[in-house]
Amino acid sequence: MSSDAGSIPAASKSSHTNERNVVKYIVRSLMVLFVLLCQLAPTAASRFQEEPFLKLSVEDFADYGRVTVTSNHPLRSSIEKNGIYLLVRIRADQPFRIRRGSFRSRFIESVGWTQGVDFYVLNIKVQMSDFTHASTNLTRPHRLVIDVLPEGADPRPKAGQEAAEGAATIPKKETGARTTERAAPRTETPAAIPTQSLAQGTRTIIIDPGHGGLEVGAEGQNGTLEKDITLSLSLKLKAIIERNLAYRVVLTRDRDVDVPLERRAAIANNEQAFLFVSIHANGFPGSKARGAETYFLNLNATDEEARRLAYMENNSTELDQVQGDAEDDIKMILWDMAQANFLKQSSEMAELIQSELNTLRDTRNRGVKQAPFKVLTGVACPAVLVEVAFISNPDEERKLLTDDFQAAVAQAIYTGLAKFIRQYARD
Amino acid sequence: MDIKRILPLGVLSVLLLVLAVLFFVGGAEKPPALAPVPVPDDAGEDSAEPPQTRTITLFFLSDEDNLLHPEEREIYTHELTVFEAKQAIEELVRGSSSGAVASIPPGTRLREMYIIQDGVAYVDFSRELKDNHGSGTAAETATVFAIVNTLTYNFESIKRVSILIGGNERETLNGHIDLTRPLLPRLDLIAK
Ligand SMILES: [Zn+2]
Repeated sequence: MSSDAGSIPAASKSSHTNERNVVKYIVRSLMVLFVLLCQLAPTAASRFQEEPFLKLSVEDFADYGRVTVTSNHPLRSSIEKNGIYLLVRIRADQPFRIRRGSFRSRFIESVGWTQGVDFYVLNIKVQMSDFTHASTNLTRPHRLVIDVLPEGADPRPKAGQEAAEGAATIPKKETGARTTERAAPRTETPAAIPTQSLAQGTRTIIIDPGHGGLEVGAEGQNGTLEKDITLSLSLKLKAIIERNLAYRVVLTRDRDVDVPLERRAAIANNEQAFLFVSIHANGFPGSKARGAETYFLNLNATDEEARRLAYMENNSTELDQVQGDAEDDIKMILWDMAQANFLKQSSEMAELIQSELNTLRDTRNRGVKQAPFKVLTGVACPAVLVEVAFISNPDEERKLLTDDFQAAVAQAIYTGLAKFIRQYARD
Repeated sequence: MDIKRILPLGVLSVLLLVLAVLFFVGGAEKPPALAPVPVPDDAGEDSAEPPQTRTITLFFLSDEDNLLHPEEREIYTHELTVFEAKQAIEELVRGSSSGAVASIPPGTRLREMYIIQDGVAYVDFSRELKDNHGSGTAAETATVFAIVNTLTYNFESIKRVSILIGGNERETLNGHIDLTRPLLPRLDLIAK
């Protein structure tokens, strides 16, 4: 240090210029770095801060309807056709914000979202039962395009087919061009479309036969499966309701297939169901348990949470918005806890059905109960789950297989429902 | 001399650089993944002392009333609740010592368990919990709430229980009770 001090006069000048050069250099590098970082920043910020969303819009072209899901994240999806529904499952590692877009279509009756653990399901209800669909996944922005084409109504099936293939293969620019080109005919008078839309004012009752497909449910000691009993009972109940009431009845499944639990609720909500009845047969270890019990949803919430939920439901819920929205808007409901709004009516319906089941010969009354059933949480109408008897009890298993007992159970459930409808319709 | 005068500038520029990088990249950092955060028990025992035990209550089933029946058991105390809670579930898995109906199907193992700070216990079972389960609403309700009640009844810091199978969240055990949200206890299912 002291030797440095001694050498000042000799080295002073050159050291000074050197120093300035270094300072200049450092300042310039910092500026360059700053500019570089500033340019990087927007992408980094948007990538990490922008909330993931799914935006849905529905529009018509001359001979087909198009559903577009746009997102700021890559979309991994699968599509399944089920009757008049297209079910689009989109994987989601994190929650997405659901955004509404425009909705105007002669081909598509309604669309709705259901949320699962790590996925969302878009339920597209198509106006006609004979239709084909084509889909494609595009990027910049990430979007999933699904075209719905009526099969019978298309006067030029080849053109329709081409449209479908176009959506699936044409690169995004061309798709865009075709979109604007075809946007004009939208206002033209639509070609004759075989719609199956409901007679206005007809209310729908949903019957949900528990389990199905690989989900066999409980199993009796003699091999009877819950899924078979529930389907058979549900078909009988449907027939009785249709014979006696001016209501439309929709089954969540009418054959031995897997139907995810959220989809059962989604079907009810898409139908704007009036009532929902899930049919099950009970099971317990051993062979002694017997009798019938009727459930409605337990929210699995503390009193405080239930109060908050009730407040939300009664004020500015998604449900209210949907009812109040203009027709243009997408009927979109986050059905996660929709049933919270209907617990009182659901408990009344449960009481009425249970008291009818109690009149059945040799049926033990296990009463009305509450449990957090997955299938009921998302249903946006009064909803119950009926456990008609114990399949694990060999006596009841035998009874459950007979036509007479099934008919009596179906009749009892119907009577309870009819009583509830008389009460509920009056309110 | 050069170095002496330049050094502070160098240090300053490095600092600025670090700050700039932190400013732009810092926001990108994701919150830490959910990790086991054992909640310390209020009874802080000295681990050098001989192991002490405490009495807990397990819940088993009865095919007479299909309710949950209490049965007492001794477990070793530990300053961490999660270690006591694990013993409780392992005892529940082992079954009743008085001939009551098992609440956990045979072959099931407790894989892992952790408690997060807001009082939710995550209990991860092997897939036998689902595969060997007889199913049916009554059976499913009994199994699920035997687990939930055993944990919430004995450990004050556990308020809710989430049941996982094979490390994953499942929608239901066999099509009935919703397992996607942590469950609150159901004292009404306990036999009087
Ligand atoms: Zn069932």
